Amino acid sequence: MTRYLLRRVPSALLVVAVASVLVFAVIRVVPGDPVATLAGPDASPEARAAIRHDLGLDRPVTTQYVAWVGRLLHGDLGTSYLIGGDIGTLVRHGLTNTIVLTAAALLIAVLLGLVLSLVTVIADKRWLDGLLAAGNTLAVALPTFVTGLLLVLVFAILLPVLPAGGVPPDGFVARPDIAVQYLLLPALCLSLPTAAALTRFLTDALQTQLREPYVLTATALGISRRRIVLTQALRNALPSTVTMLGIQVGVLLGGAVLVEAIFAWPGLGRLIEQGISSRDYPVVQVLLLLSVAVFVVTQLLSDVVHAWLDPRVRLGGES
Amino acid sequence: MRFHSGRPFTSKDVAFSIETWADPAWAVQFQRTAAAVTSVDTSRPDQVTLGFDHPVSNIFDLLDAMPIIDEDSIADLKAGKSYVGTGPFEFESWTPNTEIEFKRNPDYWGGKPHLAGVDTKIVTDPQSLVSQLRSGQLDAITGGSNRDLEALRASRQFDVEELKGAEQQVYVGANLQNPQLQDVRLRQAIAYAVDRPRVTNDVYRGAGYPINVPWPKYSPAYDERLNHRYDRDVAKARALVKEATQGSKGATIPLEYDASNSDTEATAQIVQANLKEAGIQVGLEPLDHSQFIKKLIGAKFKGLWVAIHSYAQWTPSTLAVSAYPFNAEHNASHFTDKGYLEHSNAAWQVTDGTGPEAVSSYRDISDDFLDNLFLIELSVIYTQVAHSPRLHGLSWSKRQEIDLDDAYLSKG
Repeated sequence: MTRYLLRRVPSALLVVAVASVLVFAVIRVVPGDPVATLAGPDASPEARAAIRHDLGLDRPVTTQYVAWVGRLLHGDLGTSYLIGGDIGTLVRHGLTNTIVLTAAALLIAVLLGLVLSLVTVIADKRWLDGLLAAGNTLAVALPTFVTGLLLVLVFAILLPVLPAGGVPPDGFVARPDIAVQYLLLPALCLSLPTAAALTRFLTDALQTQLREPYVLTATALGISRRRIVLTQALRNALPSTVTMLGIQVGVLLGGAVLVEAIFAWPGLGRLIEQGISSRDYPVVQVLLLLSVAVFVVTQLLSDVVHAWLDPRVRLGGES
Repeated sequence: MRFHSGRPFTSKDVAFSIETWADPAWAVQFQRTAAAVTSVDTSRPDQVTLGFDHPVSNIFDLLDAMPIIDEDSIADLKAGKSYVGTGPFEFESWTPNTEIEFKRNPDYWGGKPHLAGVDTKIVTDPQSLVSQLRSGQLDAITGGSNRDLEALRASRQFDVEELKGAEQQVYVGANLQNPQLQDVRLRQAIAYAVDRPRVTNDVYRGAGYPINVPWPKYSPAYDERLNHRYDRDVAKARALVKEATQGSKGATIPLEYDASNSDTEATAQIVQANLKEAGIQVGLEPLDHSQFIKKLIGAKFKGLWVAIHSYAQWTPSTLAVSAYPFNAEHNASHFTDKGYLEHSNAAWQVTDGTGPEAVSSYRDISDDFLDNLFLIELSVIYTQVAHSPRLHGLSWSKRQEIDLDDAYLSKG
């Protein structure tokens, strides 16, 4: 196993190193200039030169790259040019907000999917099937910016019971009751397409299970449909549903970018959008490199687990 | 009078602020005016005497716009860590990308502010801004879309203030290095073809008024007669195009605009349609904000562009010496003219910015501008602030800064 790791880790590090060069270069190739954005159109050439010097952008690109990597290796992510502040703090804030939003959306999606699927399958009514299918189609077909605006209109403006946007003023821990109010609308908005997909998938999986011989036997023994579904069919339908849910996590993270904008939720999506539009090089570099690193580590972990489970994989390279 | 830190404010602080403002390392407005101050007498702590090598007509604009800077905390100011001033609210905290909090300065020289503090939320989505105002989460917003602001005003549940005195102007710029735009007749055709009332009414929902000259109506430089010189006349525009191109179909002229601003995007589309009517083919080229600013500063636009400028709300000479699109020495249009330069400097170097000598220079500048049309003005536009009716006493500076010195919140 150690030899397997020694073989895999250097290639993972190499990927991260190459990615660091690429993200550093790509943002500089895109037309635009952070100095122009920062100084504004009426600034004098001297002011622009001074800002360029302050930001270190007048140095050769290779020197800038080496300095950036050097700082990263010392745990210093740098300072944002335009948004302002330490990037470590910005990323920490953004990441926390995005994870909380995505986790809440996932929880709502799972609860909705589970409850709706079970109710539909247990009730076994055609009209309920039709209603659920229509609701599913609507939830998937309506873009999040439409559902977001509708939710805000109904729950924040017409019935002003929930905030229209923003993050809880005292954080997520100090006042959980307030935090839930702030989370509910964006998380619900983000969860709807996933909840719909999950409901559809789980309902189908449960109905497939109900056609199995063991269900016929259980029915013949006089066990109620509800008990069969809850104690047997659900357990058998869950593994494939969980796999599908794993894929949906990626969809939720992608969808969070739009939802963060609609609900003024300062997460990573908003951060990267602002970073790119203002050519805030250090912010974009760190976020892109972070996403590459997360992907590489995930990939590495999955390979390690695979190798641990299947000796042929870890021995394959040695034979 | 004291700084938020408790340190007494003296004439030396005024001298330091002017010196800092004049330092080219800072990107600030009125830098040229600050640099024209050649001496500052601070022998008395409560009196400042400024010296100049020549009269400067917009010195009071500088003193209006320039904040007083605390020398002791300037490094932290530059690093974005603190802001020590003398104003009604003290900086309390900053969460990057989320909010800035201020608390009341009980020792404010203008009297204790009514509000205990001000929380400034950063909301980048205009729709979300309006929703948060409607739901009562925010008391005042800037940056709502013109349509939403029009609906808020019509609902009579919110007050929408037009920041009069802090106007901006939307214009079409022309790069005179583009061979197609070198003939002034073609630029005149553009000026006759553009539908200014439509831009004002459709894009800005009436929050402004059409304009030909680069000054708002209250400016001492404004001339009602000149302001109608290029009133819309499509037939005249067509004739000028025919004359300039001698009947040949010219290449499509690129029209660049900042696509992150939905107003300039809509304006560009209207201009394109107007010019088509006059026989001028224009191709729209959206740019992102950073790219657009870079092109504006570098004078790199390919042909035409649509943008917004400020500065016309100040002493008129400021426009030609400080606003980059109009700068007589270097501008995005590559327009150079000895007369324009002389008139600009003459307008700047007078003592009274509203006196007859100054007004005469402004008329010369207006003539230079309308004769050469390196920029074609479309509309004066008002920045708008929407607020709940429980917020009272809101005012603003010429730089569109919201002033809450006397603001208070009523119940209900």
